[in-house]
Amino acid sequence: MSLLDIKGLTIHYITHQNTVRAVNDVDLSIDTGKTLGLVGETGAGKTTTALGILRLIQTPPGKIVSGEILFDGKDLLKESEHNIRMIRGNDISMIFQDPMTALNPIMRVGDQIAEVVYLHGDCTKEEAKERSLHMLETVGIRAERSTEFPHQFSGGMKQRVVIAMALACKPKLLIADEPTTALDVTIQAQVLKMINELKAVYNTSMLLITHDLGIVAETCDEVAIMYAGQIVEYGNLEHIFDNPKHPYTIGLFKSLPSLDKDVERLSPIKGLMPDPANLPTGCKFHTRCDHVCEDCKAIEPAYQEIEPGHFVRCLRVERGEI
Amino acid sequence: MGELVRVEHLKKYFNTPAGVLHAVDDISFSINKGETLGVVGESGCGKSTLGRTVLKLIDHTDGKIFFEGKDITNISKRENHELRKKMQLIFQDPYSSLNPRLCVYDLIADPLKTFHILKGEERQKRVFQLMDEVGLSKRFTYSYPHELDGGRRQRIGIARALALKPKFIVCDEPVSALDVSIQAQILNLLQDLQKQLGFTYIFVTHDLSVVRHISTDILVMYIGVMVEKSPAKELFERPLHPYTKGLLSAIPIPNIHHKKKEIVMAGELTSPINPKQECRFAARCPFATDLCRTQVPTVSEVFPNHFVSCHHVREINGI
Repeated sequence: MSLLDIKGLTIHYITHQNTVRAVNDVDLSIDTGKTLGLVGETGAGKTTTALGILRLIQTPPGKIVSGEILFDGKDLLKESEHNIRMIRGNDISMIFQDPMTALNPIMRVGDQIAEVVYLHGDCTKEEAKERSLHMLETVGIRAERSTEFPHQFSGGMKQRVVIAMALACKPKLLIADEPTTALDVTIQAQVLKMINELKAVYNTSMLLITHDLGIVAETCDEVAIMYAGQIVEYGNLEHIFDNPKHPYTIGLFKSLPSLDKDVERLSPIKGLMPDPANLPTGCKFHTRCDHVCEDCKAIEPAYQEIEPGHFVRCLRVERGEI
Repeated sequence: MGELVRVEHLKKYFNTPAGVLHAVDDISFSINKGETLGVVGESGCGKSTLGRTVLKLIDHTDGKIFFEGKDITNISKRENHELRKKMQLIFQDPYSSLNPRLCVYDLIADPLKTFHILKGEERQKRVFQLMDEVGLSKRFTYSYPHELDGGRRQRIGIARALALKPKFIVCDEPVSALDVSIQAQILNLLQDLQKQLGFTYIFVTHDLSVVRHISTDILVMYIGVMVEKSPAKELFERPLHPYTKGLLSAIPIPNIHHKKKEIVMAGELTSPINPKQECRFAARCPFATDLCRTQVPTVSEVFPNHFVSCHHVREINGI
């Protein structure tokens, strides 16, 4: 059985002027110890999905309209606020994109990590302190530095502190929202390597949100491609990288400049992502798709399994036309 | 084709309370007309400062800059102003580099106004022509930057740079704030414009796949110094400097059959303030010896047009 099972999750932001349909009918599942990559462009609804899992959507304007989020068999959407607080940071924890703003600037880093342990673990302050020093060593920061403040650390080091904090309570699920986007490539390589090693040690499952297909290829077991609030394609690495089916997935790969092949000219996806407050009818991608037909504009494609474990949301793939 | 820009031993130091910051330290290169020099490096390595110093937007500390064969290192303010017509800059962040109170038309007409180029209908025609060239449709004429997405804003930035028909453009991370599908659109636009109008670019970026795609030559910087410079393809096929090798192996490749060489570089960039007399990469280099820690390496041409700054380049690569 999977650790996390999301079914039909729909999240809207409702304001006076309009309704932003950020996440629409999303199904996802993650098995214990596995990593799922959630890929998409800005505004695709990746972060909203993650915040939805932790029930951190600000209400109003945000609202989880429908769906189930089964974690360890329990529906998180039905839990009380008190129970959710016990789960956050303990069973499920999150690494945020920007390490510069995720830390409290006027609190020593050691104390920030110890706070999480003390709040969730059944332990004394001294034990929490000890655990925080151990976590710092685990992520490659000398224990002496625990009394320093965040501004005394570089970006890569800050992200290590955030990771230490996220893993301090040995969570079952780690949600990493673009954990390395703010870092340089060499530092990114160090941090990704470390996350992978620690994940293996603690047998943690991970939801990795990213826009970088290179990172997905190196760290994930399964991939979900998100577009305009929907999962348009889902499968394991072989399905997505060797046999992509959805025109959007194919377009993403064609947009990337290659490091080993000579491409005179890139073939970008034409146009722009639709405004989530004003989504087109039918297939959400039809305005940018090269294979669009009349039916695509009217009929909303279903999320179909085209081979075991490989799901695609496209009318023309379903009909076997492309 | 002939040489357009040449830089000799360029230095730019900043005085800071903590000491002298060596942002650009003794860099030399030249760019031919119609070609693109890619400048890569990690944040804080001085690549943006290099671009701006070459444009003379900030004063250099030492060295010489030649443009169209003429020494422009010590020109007067007036000459510098005239030079703007020939050299332009495209900024990284399309969100903060445009005046939020001007509409698209005024933003693009701005450089023409500043230099009193064209009047009335002629100017209007030129603005619409520029919008057309960069792929902005006419319906955005009176839109303000906040109404547009990142890709369209970057197109405004490009149109502004093109307005004066420059010969030389420094692109400072022009696509790093954009999503991949939009990034590809902008890269294609920059390449098409180069072909049509014969621009010469310096393309500053931290994204190595972008730089390989767009550049003729690539210059790799590390804490203010040039560690390697070579034709674009050769740099990826045969990197010689240990830093370049580490940098290349750190890029995640979007291909699951790619066999990765595991060279994860330990440590981080050291401080560019009052650097010691040593190779600046020595602290992170797996091949560092006492020589590296006591002497600054010089740039040598190891293969034709392939320059490396490393004491041990020949031993490491077996050449």
